[in-house]
Amino acid sequence: MAFQHGKDTYVSLDGDDLSAYVDSSDFEQSADVSKLTTYGKDSHVYGGGTKDATFKMSGTYDNTAGTGPRAVIQPLIGTTVELVRRIEGTGSGLPQDTVDVVVKKYTESSPAADYVKWTCECQCSDDVDSTAQSA
Amino acid sequence: MQAIADQLNTIAGLRCFAWPPGTVTPPAAVVGYPERCTFDETYGRGMDLLTVPVVVIVGPPYQRQARAAFSAYTAGSGASSVKAVLESGTYTAFDAVRVASWDQDVYRLAGVDYLAAIFELQIGGKGT
Repeated sequence: MAFQHGKDTYVSLDGDDLSAYVDSSDFEQSADVSKLTTYGKDSHVYGGGTKDATFKMSGTYDNTAGTGPRAVIQPLIGTTVELVRRIEGTGSGLPQDTVDVVVKKYTESSPAADYVKWTCECQCSDDVDSTAQSA
Repeated sequence: MQAIADQLNTIAGLRCFAWPPGTVTPPAAVVGYPERCTFDETYGRGMDLLTVPVVVIVGPPYQRQARAAFSAYTAGSGASSVKAVLESGTYTAFDAVRVASWDQDVYRLAGVDYLAAIFELQIGGKGT
């Protein structure tokens, strides 16, 4: 067991490695929770339901043709593509989450006194494959 | 540092040095060593940030020409504007440079006081 630094995290969308342009990413997995409380109970009873997941990432804008965030993400808005996230980086046995996502939102922010930044939000669709990376 | 000095050399009459020399004859610009580097601004060594000082020494503060030169170098635009010239350059050693600020100071060289502007450059580029 060891703490892991975020700098090695890998993210690709539709097969395009965006890692070099990403400074933060959040993969949120959740499930519906249904109330199953019946007569005679003094406390609520809950049951788990359908799973869900969302993904957000943000970073520094780069105008590199073909591989920059604008070139990659903007054409994908509204489409379903494969997301791969390796939270500890790339390597045999390290964790990996693979899931289809609908690219929901792409935002570019341009502060006067800093680098242009961007954010992207995705809605995950269907199951998440969390099989560790193979050799 | 060399790329910054080369771009500053396009300002007419300004002698530029890519590192601190033993002595300078004003008007001169000296690219200092980076004061700070921030690694890993993005994943996978995608971006590092450097803060680099550039000192522009113009002339004795009591000379009218020195005041005029100081104004031209520190202006936000114009052919002698350090900010305009540096930010309009095309670079391969890094991605982007922003002249964020300048501070006025007086440097003493060979017993003579010289008016100077110390610029703060913020440089971003892919990590190596």
